[in-house]
Amino acid sequence: MAKYGGWVGKILRVNLSTGRIWTEDTIEKYKDFLGGTGIGYKVIWDEVPAGTKPFDPVNKIIFGVGPLAGTGAPCNGRTAITTLWPTCWPKALVATGHMGGQFAAELKYAGYDSIVIEGKADHPVWLSVVDKKVEIKDARRLWGQGIRRATIEISQEIGPGAAVAAIGQAGENLVPMSVVMNSYSHSAGGVGAVMGSKNLKAIGVRGTGSVRIAGKKEEWEKLIKLHLSLLGANNQHVVPSSPQPWAEYYDAASRWKGSRGKMWGASTPAIETGTCNPRELNRIAYRTNNAVHYLGDIAWKYTVRGNGCTGCPIRCHTMIKVPSAAAKYGIPEVGQNTCGGLNFGRSFFKTFPDGPRGMTGIEACMVGMYMSDDYGIWCNYSQLQRDFQKLYYEGIIKSKLEEKEFKSYSWDKYEKGDPSFLFELLPRIALKEGELGTTLGLGTGYLLERWSLSEEEWKKSHGLNYWKLGHPKHHSNEEAGQCGVIINTQYNRDPQCHSHANFTRNGLPLEILKRLAAEIWGTPDAVDTVGAYTPMNTGKAKMAKWSLLRKELHDSLSLCNWMGPWVASPLKERGYRGDDSIESMLYSLATGDKKNRQELDQVAERIFLLHRALTIRDMGTKEMRTQHDTIPQWVYEDPSHRPVYTKGTTHLDKEDVKLAMDMYYEEMGWDKATGAPTPEAYRKVGLGKVSDELGKKGLLP
Amino acid sequence: MDMMDNKMQQWETACLVAANIIRKKSETGQLLLQKEIFQELMDQKVLKSDNREQLGTFEAILKKTMKMNQDLKELLDKDGIPRYYSGQFMSEAYARILLRKKGNPLLLIAEIVRENSARYPRPIPLDTFKNSPFELTQEEILTCLQKMSGQEEYQDIAQTITSIGTVFLYSSRHLDSDYASMLAEWLDVGQCNNP
Repeated sequence: MAKYGGWVGKILRVNLSTGRIWTEDTIEKYKDFLGGTGIGYKVIWDEVPAGTKPFDPVNKIIFGVGPLAGTGAPCNGRTAITTLWPTCWPKALVATGHMGGQFAAELKYAGYDSIVIEGKADHPVWLSVVDKKVEIKDARRLWGQGIRRATIEISQEIGPGAAVAAIGQAGENLVPMSVVMNSYSHSAGGVGAVMGSKNLKAIGVRGTGSVRIAGKKEEWEKLIKLHLSLLGANNQHVVPSSPQPWAEYYDAASRWKGSRGKMWGASTPAIETGTCNPRELNRIAYRTNNAVHYLGDIAWKYTVRGNGCTGCPIRCHTMIKVPSAAAKYGIPEVGQNTCGGLNFGRSFFKTFPDGPRGMTGIEACMVGMYMSDDYGIWCNYSQLQRDFQKLYYEGIIKSKLEEKEFKSYSWDKYEKGDPSFLFELLPRIALKEGELGTTLGLGTGYLLERWSLSEEEWKKSHGLNYWKLGHPKHHSNEEAGQCGVIINTQYNRDPQCHSHANFTRNGLPLEILKRLAAEIWGTPDAVDTVGAYTPMNTGKAKMAKWSLLRKELHDSLSLCNWMGPWVASPLKERGYRGDDSIESMLYSLATGDKKNRQELDQVAERIFLLHRALTIRDMGTKEMRTQHDTIPQWVYEDPSHRPVYTKGTTHLDKEDVKLAMDMYYEEMGWDKATGAPTPEAYRKVGLGKVSDELGKKGLLP
Repeated sequence: MDMMDNKMQQWETACLVAANIIRKKSETGQLLLQKEIFQELMDQKVLKSDNREQLGTFEAILKKTMKMNQDLKELLDKDGIPRYYSGQFMSEAYARILLRKKGNPLLLIAEIVRENSARYPRPIPLDTFKNSPFELTQEEILTCLQKMSGQEEYQDIAQTITSIGTVFLYSSRHLDSDYASMLAEWLDVGQCNNP
């Protein structure tokens, strides 16, 4: 029997230039990096030289899953896809896209902990992984087809239980704003074109094996029940949106929408979600309804059920059935997705004829999902749509297009909020047709460069949410003050971190948030209520570090950072505490490699520092504070000119944010002047060789 | 001795049944009055008749039931009339909403709004009162708000409207208008735009 559980033991490696397929031992080479982003960063560090461009054959793409994927651990469905990022501007740097769905578990059942793809095929291919049988297959018949057809055809070939991760026409055409998608609605943005550059249409995986749990069955089952008991709804919202008999608290903004009298109206017969008592572990799936969260109560009528990823009872991909969309637009009447995916079509429009929460908005969602999830277009956390609105309404599109091309769009339809406009726009992005389609597909940074627009203007605009490097903010000062700002400085795309926001938005009253914060980060002052911020303190720096490490830990274990961390819970009897050790307990029992919370956090820090080292190496500078960890001007301004740190404003003070960065670097053990990790910081987490290599290049502080 | 034992056993059974009656109602989100518990015990043949002696017995049973089961709670309304629920299935916060619901709807709305403004702190959407357990109609809510605007004790209850037209209520005792507007916009629009 293998020494460790959790991991299945092999990394699958494929060179598309030579056709070579081989495996590596996971434990021997990658155990210290867990999996997921950890393996991704390690492969890029070891094997992809600085200066490589995203579409170069020498660039690699790593489908990384972790030791908890395919186990019974809740929310274990995440695959982290790491590569050099094509929308990172002005220079591509390492980044990761994350997809849920069934791919991660299926890969483990086939016997692989990750797949590393390199090279470039001389014609379109897809990778067939059926247990030990791995083949590079001809995809010429699939090239030019959408994701749905590719998924169906590959499933027909290798079996209905297959998980297929495919690109659409956007990826094939090397549109940087493109995704890879598995299980029809679970996408990882930004990486579709890297697959396209390798002539790789899809990876189809079918596994008949299993994942061994090293610990005792009874202990594992007990732990799973504990974890399930700590779950809230989507984004770990731990209170319901309306008063329920069992609940002390409620929050109308919570994604926990289930309630007595609230029905999945498009099920036959309709299903009542009920009071959703958190002690009923078999009814967790009734809590979340993201269609209602985004589209309003009108969406109950169209809800079929929740759908989601392997091992996840939350079911955040709400399935809706909208016959009017089918009748009007000739598309399927059922669609499913969450967040940006659900709102992909709707977000292009400023207004709808029946208001922001009417039927037309829902139909725009249906059209958007149908098209973007087939063409494989990425929204970049809705930056695509925000850019589009600004470019149109400020007359920039008109000024940049030839008259013939401009008139080829039905702008009257767009202004009226007619979803059929999407049939004109989205295919042209995916197929790189015309100046507008081509430019929108580049991503914000390269779009600004192509049209000679000023990035500074984007950085000043409050409504655009633009941050840096061609990417937007993701849970910044609007809800987590200085902690959110720090997190948004650290990555080469939007940070994809929910650790902090899922705590501050969980719905509990401020007094409880502060009590929990004191227990986790040493002081109640680590958290403020939204819009009543206080100056920086060490608790906030600790919270930022914890949030980042927990994100990398989740991404490396294959747990979903969108659902966790689980440091708060819906349970009154626990004082609404969660358990900050749940990840280390799951890891230790699954793998047999016993690590407590602090020890596993140190592994997460190793992974996070490797990302930092890669960024420094590929940027060719140690001056991270001034060259990388930058903050847009809008963070420091309030449109209503309210004084900073008064109630009703979320803007921050520039000097205080400088202090915040100082305190964060200090908490990390990094050099405050440059923002670069010191040799000691690297050595502390076992990255001495990385430090040496950077030292030779003069990239240490 | 046998008769004594038998009587003790009957009492214990009666207490057990009474406790279950309260718990089951709590699970479905309902408070119980004494007379409702009495009627249930009658229906279940635990009590034989509603004469004066039986009423005395019932009061003793209820007292013992409450003493024996720490999850069972008593909540008094403004007239001092008790209502019963199980903390195992119903929170005190919910029980208080149910109690308020039986009284003046203006006070119900005001107290819920004040509680949210003070505690979380946040304004709450007007539509909250359409949902369970409040279940007021739009017309009833608007009528209440109109009446409140003319009464001194409710002058702190204020409204703010978000950019997509959603009405939120807040108490000016706990939130100033700018802050309430910012929070309402964040809850209604900001959170959806920052998923």
